[in-house]
Amino acid sequence: MSAPAMTEKAAPRSERSQARRFAGWREHHGWSAAASLRRLGGRPLGTLMTVAVLGLALALPLAFYLLLANLQSMGNALGQNPAVSVFLKTDQAGAQANLLAGELRGRADVAAVTVKTPQQGLDELATLQGFSGAVHALDDANPLPWVLVVQPRTGLDAAAVDKLVESLRGERAVDLVQDSSQWRQRLDALLDVGHRAVLVLAGLLALAALLVVGNTVRTDIASRSEEIGVLMLLGASRAFVRRPYLYAGIWYGLFGGVLASLLAMAIELALAGPAAELDRVYGGRLMLGALPWWLLLAVPLAAAVLGWVGARLVSAWQLRKAA
Amino acid sequence: MRDKEPHAVIRFDQVSKRYEGGHEALSQLSFEVAAGEMAFVTGHSGAGKSTLLKLIALIERPSHGQIVVEGQSLAKVGRGGIPKLRRRLGMVFQDHRLLMDRTVFANVELPLTIGGIAPAERSRRVRAALEKVGLLAYERQLPDSLSTGEQQRVGIARAIVARPAVLIADEPTGNLDPQLAVEIMGLFAEFQDIGTTVLVASHDLPLIKRMHKRVVVLDHGRLVADIPGEEVL
Repeated sequence: MSAPAMTEKAAPRSERSQARRFAGWREHHGWSAAASLRRLGGRPLGTLMTVAVLGLALALPLAFYLLLANLQSMGNALGQNPAVSVFLKTDQAGAQANLLAGELRGRADVAAVTVKTPQQGLDELATLQGFSGAVHALDDANPLPWVLVVQPRTGLDAAAVDKLVESLRGERAVDLVQDSSQWRQRLDALLDVGHRAVLVLAGLLALAALLVVGNTVRTDIASRSEEIGVLMLLGASRAFVRRPYLYAGIWYGLFGGVLASLLAMAIELALAGPAAELDRVYGGRLMLGALPWWLLLAVPLAAAVLGWVGARLVSAWQLRKAA
Repeated sequence: MRDKEPHAVIRFDQVSKRYEGGHEALSQLSFEVAAGEMAFVTGHSGAGKSTLLKLIALIERPSHGQIVVEGQSLAKVGRGGIPKLRRRLGMVFQDHRLLMDRTVFANVELPLTIGGIAPAERSRRVRAALEKVGLLAYERQLPDSLSTGEQQRVGIARAIVARPAVLIADEPTGNLDPQLAVEIMGLFAEFQDIGTTVLVASHDLPLIKRMHKRVVVLDHGRLVADIPGEEVL
């Protein structure tokens, strides 16, 4: 090789020090991020449509999650102290009620027993909306029986509670047994199904979001095939060519995720009034909550990752064809 | 990996290229281009000129034979090594292949951006390359606003900006009027003068004759003549 040619070769080699290469790599990342953002801004309608589809797709599982979380919270609040109400026969007197309560307190599967007199029952009934008139109409006649409120021991499973209920039904003085823990078990089972359904739905909608981003990036790459061809002829690596499209995927995902979080917050806001009223009716015991802030932050980040994955898969496939 | 012959920057050794479908574009082609040499590859349409350049840039692979560029056997360059090889070449195309949505400056800057050169150095080199082709005043313009000849000069500036040891050009004057074609060929000769090896595929025989450079003549993919510059009349 002639001297001038060697001189020409030596210069680029010395330039390609690690630090400079890293600076160049970092600079191209910055350029790719900005250029892809400009391209998205250059076709606002298309970008808006893609982001809207992503936002709606991601907001749906968030809304269901909000609903389930609040149902769970309501269940927890209302079923904090599951109790079995034991209604004695009307001919049973207070002595029998106290005697049975004493016996039950001695059982290993019972945590506590509260004895409610017929008068206490009538007073409670009178506090309920719409019942006060009916209670006054009774005059002095009280048709209510003595009631034992039995709290099963904490940690007792459903089968053991059922066994306790059956045993109480077998008592001669007992007329009726109501197990308030049963509705809680049913609610828990329903919530389990709901949680699973939300997970499946979130998975499917995440896949849909991935495909939406992938397809958008695919058309973007197809419309720029000439540019890609030129870059490859000039010695650009696939990573270099791919970079702006990966950033486009990240932007789509991020904006879609932000929109999903905003939609979820709007849903919360829309439900806030009725939820507060519901809570008030239940004496402030329902503990209805909002979506946690970390989830609202995590959704855009997860969506950005999803967008990146979609763009990565499609661009790898498209550029393999272009190479 | 490295070849022992230091003087041959491009070497074709019994190279054949047969495309799918059976068309043989090149047949048993052997020739060398020395460092700092400028040579023309000519022949009628379909003689194999463009295929020869595509093989050098690894746009195509030979069916048989060996090609060595800057001491490196191209047979040993894997898929991942292709970008690296292309970064060492300057390529000029008949249709310029400029990115019309980027300025003249940005187009010329591309090989340096791809090569990871720092912004300040890029700026300096782009301006030097544009000055060399007489287009420094147009750096902020889009290629669409330039004439065909000016666009070709932008393409040449882009090809030389990374200071390649080898410059290959495929019909670079195909769309230009004779006066502009002479100017462009004059530019290539200037790059040869500073040590760049230049290989130009062209079918413009009158223009080639004016340049008094080596001429490799192909016919149906075969080498039929290899005329030294001083014998070109």
